Amino acid sequence: MNGVLSCLFWLAIGVVLAFITLPLAVVVAASLSPSSTVTFLPWDWTLEWFGALLSDRWLQPFLLSFRIATVVAAISGVLGILAAYAIVYEKIPGSALIMAGLLSPLSVPQIVKGVAIVLFLSIIGLQGILGTPALIAAHVVLALPFVTRMAATSLTNFDGNLDRAAQSLGATKRQRLQHIVLPMIKPGVLSGVTFAFIISFNNIPLSVFLVRPGDTTLPIAVINYLEYSLDPVMAAVNVASMIFILTVIFLFEKIGGFSTQLHGGSK
Amino acid sequence: MNSFDIELVSVSKSFAGLPVIQDLNLEIPRGEFVSILGPSGCGKTTTLNMIAGFNTPSLGDIRIRGRSQTRVPPERRNLGLVFQNYALFPHMTVADNVGFGLRMRSTPKAEIEPAVQAALRSVRLDGLGGRYPKALSGGQQQRVALARAIAPRPTVLLLDEPLSNLDLKLREAMRIELKEIHEQLGMTFVYVTHDQEEAMAMSDRIVVMWQGAIAQQGKPDSIYRSPATRFVADFIGRSNVLSVSKSAREAPFLHLTLEGSPIVLRSACVGGAQTIRSCCIRPECIVLLEETQADIVGQNQFDGVVRRIVNLGAHIELLVEIADGLRLTVLIRSGRSSFPPEPGSTVTLGVDPHDVQLLAD
Repeated sequence: MNGVLSCLFWLAIGVVLAFITLPLAVVVAASLSPSSTVTFLPWDWTLEWFGALLSDRWLQPFLLSFRIATVVAAISGVLGILAAYAIVYEKIPGSALIMAGLLSPLSVPQIVKGVAIVLFLSIIGLQGILGTPALIAAHVVLALPFVTRMAATSLTNFDGNLDRAAQSLGATKRQRLQHIVLPMIKPGVLSGVTFAFIISFNNIPLSVFLVRPGDTTLPIAVINYLEYSLDPVMAAVNVASMIFILTVIFLFEKIGGFSTQLHGGSK
Repeated sequence: MNSFDIELVSVSKSFAGLPVIQDLNLEIPRGEFVSILGPSGCGKTTTLNMIAGFNTPSLGDIRIRGRSQTRVPPERRNLGLVFQNYALFPHMTVADNVGFGLRMRSTPKAEIEPAVQAALRSVRLDGLGGRYPKALSGGQQQRVALARAIAPRPTVLLLDEPLSNLDLKLREAMRIELKEIHEQLGMTFVYVTHDQEEAMAMSDRIVVMWQGAIAQQGKPDSIYRSPATRFVADFIGRSNVLSVSKSAREAPFLHLTLEGSPIVLRSACVGGAQTIRSCCIRPECIVLLEETQADIVGQNQFDGVVRRIVNLGAHIELLVEIADGLRLTVLIRSGRSSFPPEPGSTVTLGVDPHDVQLLAD
């Protein structure tokens, strides 16, 4: 009986993993395809399509996406920490309501949000900020629930006795935040910030309403390109951005890498 | 100036209208090892938190070295605190943990290093400064917590059930060590615990708390020998608490008639004038008498039937029924008794009148 269950378990895991990785493998294979139709033969491949990525056509959207994602990650990181601090650590009145409000963007479809933001901006006469400023604002709204949630979870798990211990050792509130609270919630905040970066970098449904023509983010540029052609350049763009995202995750993981010290620490 | 490190003056505390501490008066002399002992929910941790400054008394005043602490935040009280769950900073090395208090007070770097080393040495952890807390055992972590608390030389060290997370053997070893550290530092220790053995083993003085008030305070052996109330008699060590229906003084003894039986106990204790409702006898104060033993003048003697025998190794515990429904727990040294009693056999018990203690309730 146990053997059957264990077989089913591994089978299920295999199917799920295959479902996740095989399409990616196809994209990787396509990006190495020697002919402009998407094919792949293990003994015949080329890197020439990746060369095409160094043109302005792809570099400009990449740099725009990168800049926006960086700013979004920074802003939502700071705001998320502040929100979590007020809600969980200081327990200000109405904190549950504030948390619900901050998480509410999660429950609105992004298309609806995109339309709403465009209409809102034009009604209040701010259509001038469409483009980068509007993208940043919209992405922050989208990413904030994740960062706040992660930071709030870290703060909830934060052992209040650490704070009291520091206080009894003479640490003022500012010193405790700097030396104890922030370092302790850093891993949670960093993973929230990583989310924010990726959410912004990959976003299509919101961005599609907010970009200015000729000044698009990378995913929008991909969509535009896709309307005219499906060739290995397309696949190369996707592989390149996948590698980029993996690098970002890896780097953030490195920065927050002391998390191993935390596990099993003050238990 | 007086020589008290801590004074609690008519302190009361209620949470959401529920009184937790009621009119508590406590004076802790400089350099003493004082245990606040009580069952969970008796208010001992609340008392500690008020001394530390994490809770504010609803009424009354807390003074440290004569100064009222009402407006002093915890970080300015110069107290050391040791927690049950150690509360070490997991992202800092042992040395950084121990030096934390000094760094927060902007002590010059040159002074921090020797102070950290000295603190680690006093808890016998020299050489482990570079490790992270998670690489240490529970006992070592608790020593780090102790070193961290004493490194800035606080006025008083507050310990909140610091040994409860350790296993029995380690706990017993740490008791001795804590006592040694106390003697070596000469610092006032306030030790909160629910473990009466721990309190007995280490304290200069024990403050027994119950239901938000002090039930009794005094030296460990005087509390053990003469508990003041039923609660203390029951909570500190084991005892036979007996209800008294009638008492009469016939010098030099007080004659106590036990409730629901014709047995009359003689007590040598000088009780108050008020009616006595209960008394207690420690199990080890009851002796088994052999038939040949001569009557000792004034000694209480009564026959009983052995109902149960529990072998505890060094001791044997007997449950002896001396009247209907009236059972006494008797503790005798094993190997000494020449007539090992059998369950169901009749024995004669003897109790010195000095060992019959009067209780206040």
